[in-house]
Amino acid sequence: MSRMYIDGDLARFFRKDITTVDMELYDGRRFDGLEPRRLFPLTGLEKYIALLDADGAERGIIRDLNTLSKKDREIITDCLAEYYLIPKVAKIYGCREKFGLLTIEANTDKGDVSIVIRNISHSIKLMYNTRVLLRDTNDNRYEIPDLTKLDKKSRSEIDPFL
Amino acid sequence: MITNLKTSEKQIKQASDGAKSDADSNNSNMRINEPFRGNELLANKRLTPEERVKLEQTIPTDERLCFVIVGDLTLKANYGKSLLALTGSHIYAFDENHKDGVYICDYKSAGRAYVKRCYGNAILVVSENCEKTQEDTESAKDGESGEKEKRVNLLRFSYKAASLFEAAAHFIQNISAGHDLDGEMAAVEASFEKQFLVCPRCGRSLMRPGAPCMNCRSKKKIIGKIAHYVLPYKNILLLCMLLAGVTTAASLVPPYMTGMLVDDVLPNGNRKMLAVCVVTLLVTYLVQYGIGAVRSYLLKISGDKIVADLRSDIYEKAQHLKMSFYDRSSTGSVINRISGDTSTIQGFMLRITQEVVIQLFLLVGIIIIMFSRNWQLTLLSLVPVPLVVIGSRIFGRKIAPFYRRIWRRWSAVSSILTDTIPGIRVIKAFTNEKNSVKNFNAYNNEWLKTDIKASRITTLFPNIVNFVITCGSLLIWGLGGSLVIGNSALFSPGLLVSFISYTSMFYGPVNFFANLNDSYQQALNAVERVMDIIDAEPESNFGEGQHPDRLKGKIEFRNVSFSFDRSKKTLSDINITIEPGDIVGIVGTTGAGKSTLINLLMRYYDTYSGEILVDGINIRDIDLEFYRSEIGYVQQEPMMFHDSIYNNIAYGAKNVQVEEVIHAAEIANAHEFIARLPDAYDTVLGERGTGLSGGERQRLSIARAVLKNPGILFFDEATASVDSETESLIQEAIERLIRGRTTLMIAHRLSTLRKANKIIVVDNGEIIEMGSPEELMEKKGKYYKLVQIQTMSDEINKTKAEERFE
Repeated sequence: MSRMYIDGDLARFFRKDITTVDMELYDGRRFDGLEPRRLFPLTGLEKYIALLDADGAERGIIRDLNTLSKKDREIITDCLAEYYLIPKVAKIYGCREKFGLLTIEANTDKGDVSIVIRNISHSIKLMYNTRVLLRDTNDNRYEIPDLTKLDKKSRSEIDPFL
Repeated sequence: MITNLKTSEKQIKQASDGAKSDADSNNSNMRINEPFRGNELLANKRLTPEERVKLEQTIPTDERLCFVIVGDLTLKANYGKSLLALTGSHIYAFDENHKDGVYICDYKSAGRAYVKRCYGNAILVVSENCEKTQEDTESAKDGESGEKEKRVNLLRFSYKAASLFEAAAHFIQNISAGHDLDGEMAAVEASFEKQFLVCPRCGRSLMRPGAPCMNCRSKKKIIGKIAHYVLPYKNILLLCMLLAGVTTAASLVPPYMTGMLVDDVLPNGNRKMLAVCVVTLLVTYLVQYGIGAVRSYLLKISGDKIVADLRSDIYEKAQHLKMSFYDRSSTGSVINRISGDTSTIQGFMLRITQEVVIQLFLLVGIIIIMFSRNWQLTLLSLVPVPLVVIGSRIFGRKIAPFYRRIWRRWSAVSSILTDTIPGIRVIKAFTNEKNSVKNFNAYNNEWLKTDIKASRITTLFPNIVNFVITCGSLLIWGLGGSLVIGNSALFSPGLLVSFISYTSMFYGPVNFFANLNDSYQQALNAVERVMDIIDAEPESNFGEGQHPDRLKGKIEFRNVSFSFDRSKKTLSDINITIEPGDIVGIVGTTGAGKSTLINLLMRYYDTYSGEILVDGINIRDIDLEFYRSEIGYVQQEPMMFHDSIYNNIAYGAKNVQVEEVIHAAEIANAHEFIARLPDAYDTVLGERGTGLSGGERQRLSIARAVLKNPGILFFDEATASVDSETESLIQEAIERLIRGRTTLMIAHRLSTLRKANKIIVVDNGEIIEMGSPEELMEKKGKYYKLVQIQTMSDEINKTKAEERFE
């Protein structure tokens, strides 16, 4: 089965819902209500975006968002932003560990939040030595995009748990 | 009908700072009954005064407010409060992004209500049949009815509140469909109750509503939790301590004798006294080292016993942990805890129970002797002590994160080993040796880098302490020496020599206590990780000791839904009834949820909603050990152990006779191939059953099931990876085994389901077809299509095989 990869102006996109788009291909074929999903949600935020229809069947893959026109890129990026909620931690007010639970009081790009982590060694993942992925007790995800960009106090709070 | 109500901006302060208060009550997602207009209002959190005002103003007084769910995200995916209030006739969704802050919809116009699960968040969506379009909504053609369907995103929330919103979606849908309000409220109350079954402090599930949390109740100081491993050996340890007292007292004698020799014996040429001193020193050393040897031996024995007990406990606990623990833990990290961490803890426990007391005893003894000889010099000796103590605290803070990091890096290395060494055949087959080494080296280097960083601190600190201590003894030499030179009558050379000896002995305990923090930090990290297993929630066994004599085999799924993580439902609203003796084939595409059905029946996962009953009893209420002993499970990849074939067949069977094992092997069509092996039933299999073909291993696993004589049987793709000839042997064995037993068989090859009297077709976590094979063939649905495809495929394969043969 051949997979359809979408590059450049192969397709045009129209926003349908907060997480779905309609796609019109250069040959006139049209697919409605496709949901963009990252094939690499952790390591490739802008590359290999699958487009799934209402039944979950893949209708195409956008190789690289940067090859799309500005308008199309914005449509897909907005959809992804609605679907994927991974608040980015900008500041850490404090960390406390009690009863085997680590509670991180943090400021994120989505507001202040209290992140409760049960199993530190499994729920905190350090990637490339600077990026930190967190998963709380309820399976919500958070991210520290770059540890080195945190202020000194935030670093000292989170460091013991990395 | 859709309306937007205007709420007073002044009166209702939007909870922009809601996240902070939400943070405080992060785990307080629980049922709260609070008075509202004279009735008790069901809510997941206590309402703020602003929220109350909002409800009071928006909801007409003649409407019955059923329940309220407080959400934690706004529709724009920012942290903030949202509110869903459901009355007997309307849905009220409060969010700052709705026009005028609230969206109102009546049940008559609301159609489908569902929770759309996204990544890290979810949205409550209600579809309405309506001509009118509006902001925040979009229109979509309903393929079948042709009616306009308007989908409204009511509220967004994190997974924390997702299960309550799911209950709300069911409520909306059922009330819209005209179901009885009180009946639906009972279902919602049950969902709230379920939330309440979680400890608000640590999030672990509770035995019953309001029960104390086993995890939090047993929390003592972390080291204290380990203490009970030491208590059984308290007598030996006390004896060791007593012996240590004797050796320590003996160690204080030599400096005193040295002083005496220098001051009295040698200057006076007293040979008799010299002999007495030498003999006394000899006896002292004999006592010190002789008793020391006995003590070391006793300590070694008790230490080994403590660590063996701890390892056994961890291993035992590991057997009863939930499957979800193993889903998220690497084998390497579990092995690391059982082997490495227990040794670290053993070392530390012995230090705590023995060395701390001895060193303290030594410290106090030396200080008393030193003070009695010269208090000024003694005070001088104490000068470096505060520096050592402060340094130790700083050291502790610096080193603790490193130990955690080192452990994580080492676990990663262990995981590579546990993955690749058993998989060495695959590595060789793909000539991936170089990459494998490269990968290992990358992780090994990560560990090395972290360890080197930690070593800078661990090696530097003791040397700084030693330097400070040495400087302290230089002070004694300088001041004491000048006292001897100035007035040897007041301060004799012997006194100075013994004082120097005591000073160097004094810094031994000081050094010990300074470094204690290092081993304490190491042990603390190890204890934390061990406690991860010891304190982990075990498989719940609410029905311990309760079971019928035998399971007849009636199986019922009632509204069962399940998800491994909260981003996607693996099973949705499953309802099945299987009668005793039924042979049920479960078919569907890969990932449809077939194996999950079996996993839930095996009670590998307990976190599903709805009920699973066997013989009319909820499986959660049946003794777990009994329940599993009544089930035979033949998996696609049968697990064999590094043991004889006999023991592998008899695995888990109690008081089994040799002939029963042979009989089981015969039924499983395994006896013939076993008998042909040189060592027959005594053949020792390699790890994971290497040395046997896939089909042979499968027949051994069937023999295991035969021996178990279960009431219920599960087969998960038992013939998936074998050739046609072996398949027919296995199929024959299966057919012998399943006679008269309730059997659930997952199969891709539909030909293996020829004995099934019922077929369940699973797709996307839902049951789409169910009935006898004949009924489903007549229905010409998914099962019919699968049969058609397989028949065609089989014919093509047959033709190809014939062509090759010709």
